[in-house]
Amino acid sequence: MRHSLRLPRLLLNLAIAFMALFILGPLIWLAAHAFVSDWHYPNFYPSGFTFHWWSRVFLDSALSTAMRNSLIISPIVVLCSMVICLPAAYAVGRINFWGRRAFMIGIFSANSFPKIGLFAAIATLYYSLNLMGTFVGVVIIQLLGTIIYMTWIPAAAFAAVPRNLEEAARDAGANKFTVFRTITLRMAMPGILVAIVMSFLAAFDEAQGTYLVGAPSIFTMPTEMYSLVQNYPIQVAAVFSLLLTLPSVLLLSLARKHIMGGQLAEGFQLK
Amino acid sequence: MISVRRKVNRESSRAPHGARPSLSGFALALPPLLLVVVFVGIPILIGLTFSLGFTQGPNRVISLIGQQIHIKSHWWGTFAAYSDVLHDSRFLGDLALTLVVTSISTVFVIAMALGIAMYQRLIGGKKASVLVTLSIVPLFVPVVISAWAIHTFYGGDGFMRTLFSHLGINFPTLTSTPVAIVIGSVWTALPFSILMISSGMQAIPNALIEAARDCGAPTPKIISNILIPLARTPIIIAASFTAIGILGSYTIPLFLGPNQPTMLGVEISNFFGAYNRPQQSLVMAFFVFLAASGIAILYVWQNIKSARESGRI
Amino acid sequence: MLKKRIMQSLALAAIAALGVGVSAPASHAVSQTIQVYISADTNIQDLWNKTLIPAFKAAYPDYDVNVTFDLHGTHDAQETAKITAASVLHKNPGVDLIDGGFVTTLGAAGLLYHPNPGLLPNIANVNKAVLKAGLGGIPYRASSVLLAYNSKNVATPPATLDDLLTWIKAHPGKFTYNAPNGGGSGYSFVQTVVDKYLSDADRTALVAGAAPSLESKWAQGLETLRQLNKFTYGQNGTYPANNAETLTDLATGLVDMGTVWSDQFASALKAGTMPANIKVTQISNPSLTGGASYLGIPNSSTNKVGARLLANWVLSPAAQNLIVSGTLNGFPVIPLSMLDPKATVAFTGVDIQHLRAGYISANANDLKSAWASAVPGK
Repeated sequence: MRHSLRLPRLLLNLAIAFMALFILGPLIWLAAHAFVSDWHYPNFYPSGFTFHWWSRVFLDSALSTAMRNSLIISPIVVLCSMVICLPAAYAVGRINFWGRRAFMIGIFSANSFPKIGLFAAIATLYYSLNLMGTFVGVVIIQLLGTIIYMTWIPAAAFAAVPRNLEEAARDAGANKFTVFRTITLRMAMPGILVAIVMSFLAAFDEAQGTYLVGAPSIFTMPTEMYSLVQNYPIQVAAVFSLLLTLPSVLLLSLARKHIMGGQLAEGFQLK
Repeated sequence: MISVRRKVNRESSRAPHGARPSLSGFALALPPLLLVVVFVGIPILIGLTFSLGFTQGPNRVISLIGQQIHIKSHWWGTFAAYSDVLHDSRFLGDLALTLVVTSISTVFVIAMALGIAMYQRLIGGKKASVLVTLSIVPLFVPVVISAWAIHTFYGGDGFMRTLFSHLGINFPTLTSTPVAIVIGSVWTALPFSILMISSGMQAIPNALIEAARDCGAPTPKIISNILIPLARTPIIIAASFTAIGILGSYTIPLFLGPNQPTMLGVEISNFFGAYNRPQQSLVMAFFVFLAASGIAILYVWQNIKSARESGRI
Repeated sequence: MLKKRIMQSLALAAIAALGVGVSAPASHAVSQTIQVYISADTNIQDLWNKTLIPAFKAAYPDYDVNVTFDLHGTHDAQETAKITAASVLHKNPGVDLIDGGFVTTLGAAGLLYHPNPGLLPNIANVNKAVLKAGLGGIPYRASSVLLAYNSKNVATPPATLDDLLTWIKAHPGKFTYNAPNGGGSGYSFVQTVVDKYLSDADRTALVAGAAPSLESKWAQGLETLRQLNKFTYGQNGTYPANNAETLTDLATGLVDMGTVWSDQFASALKAGTMPANIKVTQISNPSLTGGASYLGIPNSSTNKVGARLLANWVLSPAAQNLIVSGTLNGFPVIPLSMLDPKATVAFTGVDIQHLRAGYISANANDLKSAWASAVPGK
């Protein structure tokens, strides 16, 4: 690519240094505490190193149960979300039905209502439906947070599939299902992958509603995270933070190519 | 080849098939719609009636435990709870802080995202990739950890103060100030905006930029006449999502902000829990809901407008 | 290709997770399980998990106890909503015995089960005033808020509230208390300052029942607190969010004095997270408040028998001895004469039967709100 503009190298390097400090600084500072025994202000270096905090975390059985719960429940939530929302996304993207835009706005707005005001109503509703304390109840409450991602992003992905390709395939003799499978779905897949990643994060990090419905039988990771971060020595929170970040990093590094490839921006064009 | 593809894209991005509204479409959209209506819509509606003073039926539960509950005095309810909130000096202070922090943070986020995205689009290269990757890192981090990490970084015995104390400078403790809320909000909101805006700019065809350069257009003109207009929708989307996210945020202001005034998300929780005033808490929640709905409508309106302009509708 | 990789990874993750074991804990089919819900700080969690419950199970081997722990009331809102909904709809609230600050709120709403005194014999030993203040909750331990100070920097700690206020102004940035809506130790300081300007009659009234007409009398105390904004830690009218933060500020030396719960402080000392040079004392005129913690049995609980057995056992001298000794150093709710003399030696000179009480919950909530309006950031 030709460029007629060269930013001064110093300015650019300063910008990178600033971003590195701004973004990575807090994370690295916190992560460093995962390995220290004692670190007092204003020392630059800790007084000692240890793995003691890691054993403290791993030996805590409530924690490992919560972690396991999160890693089992969140994928299930995403799967259910796909089954429920992808057909709707297809409809929004390809079919002009009455209330299409209101539907999208409604989902968006409902997502932003502060949950704490709804606890009593949700508790009443769940008890009336016998969902309180059940696995299904927890799945539903986490699913609600994924709907916005699993409808909006795939909707545009489906909308962006070129019709003439599908028509050409049908002309060539393929039946409807084959056309859908080999062309529509395949071309929309990157967008769907992005939706899956964002939904997983939304389900994984959901804390308030999960506590309301799941306690005392079902606990997920964020609940334990809140407790730790607020009360144990900072080192335990640091360990836990390193552990929690790993599944997120793994998933996102896998999907990075598609997120960066323009799919996400496509995802939100409501036509 | 390029022109054929562009034509194909334009066609496929026209409004969905079928001038006549379809029933099958509505049916397919029903499952998530039903879920949202039943599990979110109904509680919101119940909450609305409670805020207006209806304390029986489904609101019996919440009325039992709350204090300072106003019972309806007319058939349509009462505005007493709304009056309580609007006359509470805390609410107005919190609203002001929330709006200011949201605006400033959104501006910073969009500015940073624009800068990095434009740099990557126009110049590209390894350093641009580094900048973009750095900006996406916070997406990986759950918000509770982000808040904690930023708190320990800028706090009384944090990294910043440690660093500057060795240089003999007394760096201010930023935690428990609105500045820390802005820092935390920008930190957590940046990834999504970078993704949106940089993808939007990547989608702008090279040919347009090359053609403008060939005509001798200076870079600022390219930015203002090509990049920003063509990426307008992703930019507006990024701004809307960022604003809504920060408006209703709870964890970041709780860990990083002052006790008072605080952001609305925290105040709603205070009123509900510590002060045991669920009715007033719900009133505040509706203000947040209204603001969010306003932003959503703005975004859709903007979308329709841009779709009309580009001939897609 | 990418899709295949993702599918593989997900499959591996699923297998790994399942291999490690299915997560949702087996719900005990045995009706002898007592579900206990604790909303408090970690020292109370240790008290139950490491001390009380093992001893209870030894005394009643037929019963099993399952503990749910919520760190200092983060989810009180959810739990209260849930228990109330369960009571109204006659469903299982998922909990049989609650140890948390919201017990008195549930009691005030009439949602607690009151066992016949005959079924709860040990309650006869409990101080009547303490019992009444619980609004139906069962008191089982008490503690007091104390003034903690760094003995290295503070040779003689202040003896009265006035002395303390003078000290704070003379040493800017060296004292802190947490926001009252976040923790009881800060709340106690606020109420104590406010009580300074109230008559004995007013104080008693605010402890006994909801008294909204008296709340205007808080203005003077709140003004005093507002004037302290320039002198507390940070010197900008910001306060730590909860009990734990105050303890951390003391332990790391950011402040020289702060208000702390007696039991939390004792536990921190024993655990080594509080250095030995930090000591505690009580002030007078008025003294910092203290009071009981209450257990509650929701009236929709499905195991009321087990719950009241546990509650009754907790009130026995054996259990109260455990509360007093060990890591907690809690105050008992039964007379000292019924306890092990060795354990009570620590309380010589401290009148733990007549702790200055905190306001009833309705007034306390209003005070928290009034403080937030009048003090921080002003």
